[in-house]
Amino acid sequence: MAAPAGPRPGWSRRAQYSLFFGFIAAIAGLLVGLFMLVLSLVAPASYSAVRGAALDVTAPIRVGLSEVAATFEGLVSGAGDYWDAARQNEKLKAERTALRRHLIRAQAILQENGQLKAALNLRERSRESVAVGRIVGSSFESPRRFAVLSVGSSDGVAPGMPVRTADGLVGRVTEAGRIASRVLLVSDRSNIVPARILRTGVPVISTGRGDGTVDIRPLEVGRNPFRRGDIIVTSGTGGLYPPLVPIARVIRLDDDGALGRPMADPSQASFAMVERQFEPEALAVAASAEGDR
Amino acid sequence: MVRAALQTHGRLNRGPRKGVTIIPAASVIAFSALALLPVVAERGGWPDFGFLMLIAWRLLRADAWPAWWAAPLGFANDLLVGTPIGFSVALWTAVMLAMDLVDRRTEWRDYWIEWAMAAVLILAAEAAEWKVAAWSGAPVPFTHMLPSIIVSILAFPLFAFIASRLDRWRLGQ
Repeated sequence: MAAPAGPRPGWSRRAQYSLFFGFIAAIAGLLVGLFMLVLSLVAPASYSAVRGAALDVTAPIRVGLSEVAATFEGLVSGAGDYWDAARQNEKLKAERTALRRHLIRAQAILQENGQLKAALNLRERSRESVAVGRIVGSSFESPRRFAVLSVGSSDGVAPGMPVRTADGLVGRVTEAGRIASRVLLVSDRSNIVPARILRTGVPVISTGRGDGTVDIRPLEVGRNPFRRGDIIVTSGTGGLYPPLVPIARVIRLDDDGALGRPMADPSQASFAMVERQFEPEALAVAASAEGDR
Repeated sequence: MVRAALQTHGRLNRGPRKGVTIIPAASVIAFSALALLPVVAERGGWPDFGFLMLIAWRLLRADAWPAWWAAPLGFANDLLVGTPIGFSVALWTAVMLAMDLVDRRTEWRDYWIEWAMAAVLILAAEAAEWKVAAWSGAPVPFTHMLPSIIVSILAFPLFAFIASRLDRWRLGQ
């Protein structure tokens, strides 16, 4: 096949002009696009309104589609549950007895903790969640790791707020529309979380790797402090994330650090909680850092 | 029998559909909107559906839409997919301009050459996306992009097929 003739309009002066001006318009579009790209790299906050509006407009579609998907998944997994109910029942009973023992021990520890705190006269910081939403989408086409949450600024969500599930930390809000918001996941390359090892309390830094795992490095150089299966929790340093929220479990060690898998799997969690930032001043700092980036 | 012979069987009097000029652009936006699917993936290795549809149309026809339409289409893609605003605007317009130059230079075009050109465009687009992600604070290694590049290149014939079927349908042939 010969190449398509392309835009060769023949002798018509009008067609020639319209082609020429179309070409000029395309070059103008390219320049405008480059300008907008530079602006969104240098000052991402400048587009927060339009991006928030886009989130709001698409939110009903996302929520609807995710409800359809959840229903379908529920049907499939429900059928699967019936399939070997007897074995599951047995396993769950064993788990329940084990958990009951844990619960009693935890209650005792909680009580002791309360007594100790009272003795030290520590003020307990109340940690209430701002809003609870569903994770209705993600940036599955790009190397960045974002998720879309079905709550927005009308529910009190603001950029910088940490997001968690019952299992652990999900990430933090980067853009908030009226009824939906975008969350930077823990596994994104640009998400750096100050943390520590739950077992030893050694301070570490968790950085996303962009492929669903996180890279964990100790702050101090020395012997590799990790062990397989270690739980990494937030340290509360920096004031953005509240302390003692589980982030990841160590799955592999390397030379001077470890590889972790996030505890909260956004694809499995049905609900995510948006919490107030731990130290309110941190939000202003994070916002200005976002603006600088 | 004479009456039967006079029946048209739907083959005659068939012209282009209503809105023939906007169907290609609308199909690109529809494929961009696939980013709204409730897929929560651990890693992003999926093809850019809107971009694949765009290059499928552009390789099929030079006059699917005026070149500058790529800018507003890219803007819609940025808003739907959530890439930094301006990225698709610049990239998609650059692809249209580059294809105009390629069309002037190529004498011959067949299935394999088209696929190779699509592969080059996909590679360039993914490299640009990788670079922009690095500039915006997420410097992932380039090997992370390879699955996406390979899947996109392998998926391109499907998009070319959809574009050609849509083209036939919209022109009523």
